[in-house]
Amino acid sequence: MELEEMKGLWENMSEELDRQKLLTDKMVVEMTRQKYRDKLGQISLPETVGTIICFAMAAYAIFNFEKLDTWYLALCGIISIAFCLVLPILSLKSIDRMKKIDFGKNSYRESLIQYAKEKDRFIKVQKAGYYLGFVFSLAVLPVAGKLMRGKDLLLDAKLWIWYIPLALIFHFLFSKWVWKHYSSIAKGAQNLLMELED
Amino acid sequence: MIREHEGIIYKISRVYFDQEEDQKDLYQEIVYQLWKSYDSFDDRSKWSTWMYRVALNTAISFLKRDKSKLKKVSSEGLDNFKMEPFDPVMEERIEWLYKSIQELSVIEKGIILLYLEGKRHEEIASITGFSTTNVGTRISRIKEKLKRQISN
Repeated sequence: MELEEMKGLWENMSEELDRQKLLTDKMVVEMTRQKYRDKLGQISLPETVGTIICFAMAAYAIFNFEKLDTWYLALCGIISIAFCLVLPILSLKSIDRMKKIDFGKNSYRESLIQYAKEKDRFIKVQKAGYYLGFVFSLAVLPVAGKLMRGKDLLLDAKLWIWYIPLALIFHFLFSKWVWKHYSSIAKGAQNLLMELED
Repeated sequence: MIREHEGIIYKISRVYFDQEEDQKDLYQEIVYQLWKSYDSFDDRSKWSTWMYRVALNTAISFLKRDKSKLKKVSSEGLDNFKMEPFDPVMEERIEWLYKSIQELSVIEKGIILLYLEGKRHEEIASITGFSTTNVGTRISRIKEKLKRQISN
């Protein structure tokens, strides 16, 4: 058999193969599910690392709380601890809810509705984190100053003159970057759900 | 899009492996890799060029990888992996065709597959990364090799 003859045979076989279908809906759904989880994993990994850091900070503040010897330092301590404990849990929980959407069991419509609902919840948590994050950045400095260096930084007026604008700028830029990154991942996950309709 | 071209994935799987179980694994892996890398697909490049590139790269890396470490996609969807039989004469010729190709080296398999798919030398070059002249030389060598196989 010459190569050209082989080519002819190959063409005939290809035409026949094009009429037969192997890839099943089940396999497509299974692959979409895996890819969807991988996408959300890109959000949950930094969130998990952040949670561990926050918990360590909260534990450190709790164990040394007696060092915060004035009412305003204690208040800053409570705000910082509450932020470090509550927000990461809420954030991880909302990601977990998105991850748990089972579009193998749900209908396409149900999955999209559930995803939209969970995404909305996640956005609300992130927004709360954005505003509270600024309060946290103000509250955590005196706490850290007192616990690590034994200084009451709230009495240092000069420090606050440059710290507040700097914290504002950093917080704004960092939140903007995180928001952009997360939005594109969440959009990608949503697009995967949309692909199921094709 | 993957569904429209699944015949190609089937052919690639058969070219690289003679055992049905291996073909099935490679088929799943190619589909999964195409699915996974779809985000990186540049609309400016031709879909089929991109698909051949991903599929052949997957096949080559699949030969080297420890299969136990592969991320498995549900195999339930591929219970009936075998294609519907062609008429017996054609079936025999096709079997022989695959066997002849399987005798070739890994790179030759990829090139001959693209050649049989009707790709021009330039296109084969762009998929495989070889120069157009090199593709031409390799195809001539493959022709000789296949001729020798037939005469034996």
